[in-house]
Amino acid sequence: MKDRLEIVASGFGGQGVVRLGQVLGEAAVKEGLRVTMLKSHGTEMRGGYVRAQVVLSPKTIDSPMCENPDFFIALSSAAYNRFKDTVPEDGVILFDPAFVEEIDEKLACTHRELPAKQLAMDNFGRPIFSNSIALGAMAKLLENELDKEVILESLLEIIPKFHDKNREAFQVGYDYMS
Amino acid sequence: MKRFLETGNFAITEGAILAGCRFFCGYPITPATELAEAMSKRLPQEGGVYLQAEDECGAMHVCIGASLGGMKAMTATSGPGYILYADPFGWALGCEMPLVVVNSGRVGPVSGITGAPGQGEFYLTRYPTQGGNFECITLAPNSAQEAMAMVVEAFYLAERFRMPITVLGDQLITDGFEDITVPENEDEMKEMGFRTWPRGSCAGPNFYPFTDDLDIPPVQMGSGAGGLCSDWTPTVEGYDIEEVEAHHKHAYRLIYKVRNHRDLFNHLYEKKYMDDDPDLVVVSYGTPSRVVNTAVDKARSLGMKVGALRLINLWPFPDEHFTRKTKYLTVELNWDGQLVREVQRAAPKDAAVHFLGTCGDLPTIPDLLENFEKLLKNQPLERKGWELEAW
Repeated sequence: MKDRLEIVASGFGGQGVVRLGQVLGEAAVKEGLRVTMLKSHGTEMRGGYVRAQVVLSPKTIDSPMCENPDFFIALSSAAYNRFKDTVPEDGVILFDPAFVEEIDEKLACTHRELPAKQLAMDNFGRPIFSNSIALGAMAKLLENELDKEVILESLLEIIPKFHDKNREAFQVGYDYMS
Repeated sequence: MKRFLETGNFAITEGAILAGCRFFCGYPITPATELAEAMSKRLPQEGGVYLQAEDECGAMHVCIGASLGGMKAMTATSGPGYILYADPFGWALGCEMPLVVVNSGRVGPVSGITGAPGQGEFYLTRYPTQGGNFECITLAPNSAQEAMAMVVEAFYLAERFRMPITVLGDQLITDGFEDITVPENEDEMKEMGFRTWPRGSCAGPNFYPFTDDLDIPPVQMGSGAGGLCSDWTPTVEGYDIEEVEAHHKHAYRLIYKVRNHRDLFNHLYEKKYMDDDPDLVVVSYGTPSRVVNTAVDKARSLGMKVGALRLINLWPFPDEHFTRKTKYLTVELNWDGQLVREVQRAAPKDAAVHFLGTCGDLPTIPDLLENFEKLLKNQPLERKGWELEAW
């Protein structure tokens, strides 16, 4: 993998933004990589702005900031508009159309749509599984960097409940991106 | 060794326990609440005690009590709580009680923003209490892993110097996640460079000697040795007295036990590209130093002769790093400029000392590179929205 891989996830509090970063980070640790993850949030536990900045590297990581993310997971319009311009040409924005209604066609980077909330409602009847769907999608996008099974194992370690459904949701996201 | 993804708060907790800490008293405050939470879970597992106090002032007093009772103790807070330690901090310094105090800096003044980092307590960790006539030791890690190591080191220094030691972090270190390696036994601790010092009990008859000697165990209440632990001027024999001559001896000890034994911690710094007499030395500590390191790497690849000096031991200030007559730039998480004043004092009179501050967020690499370039071309540092300052 490259010397430095940057992943940003941002949305509202309660969407599992930090958990998402944590799962990818934990999987990278299991793969023997160095990892940093900064989390920024408002005072509110739910509903406030949240951002996780994850850096993965085979080497020691100096700056923990994602100034030009390789992947940006946008889970709200506000987050999309705030960070879309930081994504470089070869970067990917993964967005959920349930939260990001309009995308900026002028951007040079790649947009990948993932209707995670809709898929969660269709498959499980509850939006709570959209996070595991997003992680499955990320597992596909990161297939050259991280082992899919290691991401799934980390997800099941970090998310304490409903392992069967989370495993299924993960596969739904993975298949959607395939 | 165990390796996993965790927060700096967790890393600090594990470091404290490895160092022998078995008592924590604090009051919750973001971004140190998770540290208290981790302590409340981990200490009972290790036979230790976790206590939540009514406020930070009470918390540190309780920690002094635990230390007086023979336990290695720690408290942790953020800037708005650190200021409330002012009263007990003086007592711990004056009656020479070993303690470790963690300050996870967030942007201020006062409550500021809970989830944004700050470096507003550079001078406060030097003068955490009133009265003067003392030296302080402050250690500033720049990662979760180093926060663990520096907490272990702080417990070591606290015992040997018989005083409270501040570990100054910031919100990004304590609240951020990082891959951390935790040693599982003494051999692994040694392998990682961790050193520890056991708690002793002063048996008298010299309880507060007027020398600069280290390694005198603290007074322990209830040990029957007969020493007092008062907030008044102590005598060698362990009682208190209001008398100037005795106070001179006491003050000499509080200052010179630290100044005369700096060899124990003056290796705590990091230098990068400093061997070829750089035209610009970028000075920082804590999380900004990590962005500086990345920026300095880039600057070098662009042909700029820039070096980086990261301070880990902040106080007593390591003047010995500032003997070069060159340009210095401090990069700090505040807009008022704190570290820069100390660098100005320590650097040769004809050295140029500049300041670049951010407020609540880290500097960006393009910003740093732009400022490096300006300084190397002898151009002034202009700040958008600010009138040009002397820095």
